[in-house]
Amino acid sequence: MLEATDLMVFYENMLALNNINIKCAEGQIVGVFGANSAGKSTLMYTLSGIMQDIQKKEEMAGGERITILGDVTYRGEDISRLKPSQRAKKGIVLCPERRRIFSESSVLENLKIGGYLASSAEARKTIRYVFEIFPALEKLKNRVGGFLSGGEQQMLAIGRALMAQPNLLLLDEPLLGLSPLMQAMLMRATREIRNEMKISIIVTEQYARPVIPIVDYAFILENGAAVMEGTREELMDNPDVRSAYFGVEESHA
Amino acid sequence: MDKGQRRKERIDRGIKVRTEGIYALSSLRELSYLSVPRLVLIIGLLALPLVMPSIYWQRVITITCIYALLALSFDFLAHFVGLVCLGGAFFVGTGGYLAAIANTTFGLPPWMTVPLAAVVGGSLCTVLLLPCLPLRGVYFAIVSLMYPLLLARVIEALDILGGTDGIMGIDSFANRWAEQYFLIGALLLLMFGVRRLVNTDLGLVLRGIKDNDQAIRASGMSVTFYKSIAVFIASVIGCLSGASLVHIYMWSGISQFALDFSILPIAATVIGGGGTLVGPVLGCLLLVPISELLRDFGTLRIVFYALIMVAFIIFRSEGIMVYGQRKYHQFERWTEV
Repeated sequence: MLEATDLMVFYENMLALNNINIKCAEGQIVGVFGANSAGKSTLMYTLSGIMQDIQKKEEMAGGERITILGDVTYRGEDISRLKPSQRAKKGIVLCPERRRIFSESSVLENLKIGGYLASSAEARKTIRYVFEIFPALEKLKNRVGGFLSGGEQQMLAIGRALMAQPNLLLLDEPLLGLSPLMQAMLMRATREIRNEMKISIIVTEQYARPVIPIVDYAFILENGAAVMEGTREELMDNPDVRSAYFGVEESHA
Repeated sequence: MDKGQRRKERIDRGIKVRTEGIYALSSLRELSYLSVPRLVLIIGLLALPLVMPSIYWQRVITITCIYALLALSFDFLAHFVGLVCLGGAFFVGTGGYLAAIANTTFGLPPWMTVPLAAVVGGSLCTVLLLPCLPLRGVYFAIVSLMYPLLLARVIEALDILGGTDGIMGIDSFANRWAEQYFLIGALLLLMFGVRRLVNTDLGLVLRGIKDNDQAIRASGMSVTFYKSIAVFIASVIGCLSGASLVHIYMWSGISQFALDFSILPIAATVIGGGGTLVGPVLGCLLLVPISELLRDFGTLRIVFYALIMVAFIIFRSEGIMVYGQRKYHQFERWTEV
């Protein structure tokens, strides 16, 4: 469905993504794991096209020069040069890191803004669906976004992304700063969304343990390079991966 | 990669890499790398009155310096403290009227009235702006814009301080050289002074306030106290330029509260490059003479002026100085990826 080949991103002379090849098949949940500064967010920004926006802003302000190389193909079509809004119209929707909800709009308004691309019937249907998978949001629907708790904000961010009728949902660190209980709930919801809406999802996270049960395939990034990839089982069997990303101590008896 | 992809990379020049912060310069070449740009500016400014001796250009040079001082104070507040202050006219007016009163009522000579007006005016402006300091962004901008309008109308309505006629019969500077070199000297001193200041501990706190005032509060510092220090510094600079202005025109009137003194420094900051402190000064060195040259076009002057501004914002929104610094410190080359 989505395939990125030889993706390289430079922030000035710093290599943020080094020759990354990742792909996501139709209906898959793909995990991208890596520590801070491994390039997870850069990858998400590049796939969703936001990187071009950042590139332009930096250029206007005389800041860092960002170079993006490589190709992104989506359903057989080269989208590397498309603007983020055009990619969103094609169904690639980013749910950004740290939520970035509209903090002065209410929950319902946030969802409605997200549904700009949807027809009104689709929007109504999706709002009902969002309230169905996140019942907590319905009770808060007139609350202003800025006053929601972290978990509620994350639910809202995912809900808002769903409103854009994605075919491919990019979740950038959806579990940031959430309790283990909330993490498990969100991951169950993510799997449910994939099954219900028949979409593909790419999810990034530092700590793989809460995410690994729902992914079909995963990549591990280190310093901007994809050092390992495989199905869930393959990664779980690898002792290095287990200790580094799942927090499982190996007993070297 | 075999695709032959290329990207343009920026490399710091060797001398820059070695001299950043550490001044162990070994050759004349390295010395000149650091000092030539500064010397060009200093010598250039000092030579201006000699190069352009006509009465007309003499006036343009002094007015340029006055605007440059205002732009310096705007840039300092906007980019190092986070206060967008549209009160340039407020500083000019306050400083101007104080100098006028000190000169006509108490008979003090210009070399005393200007520093006096700067310090007293600076304190006065700071006290008046004190209630607005918790405001940020556009709120502070609007409030600081209101003050000059308010003071101008007060003077007009109550017919105090000469009312609409203003205060006349103010002494001028001793001679034209004193006038020009006083302003150029003040400009150079304050420009390098403020640049030094923003890198001291105080400047560090001020920049912290701009980035995140909650974190500054959490570190146990009073944001309002540091903001008031910054406003005092900026208004002293503004009042100094206002006081010089009345001695140049030998007249002080409510036109000193005109919006020009608030707006032109901002335009100069945009063109010169905000946050560099030298940029706004360069911006004024360009803008004020351009606006003088365009005078031949009559009313169309504003049209050309506006077009230049718009073009700058669209094509070089980073500003001359930011662009220039980058070109000076770094070179670019294509590399194979």
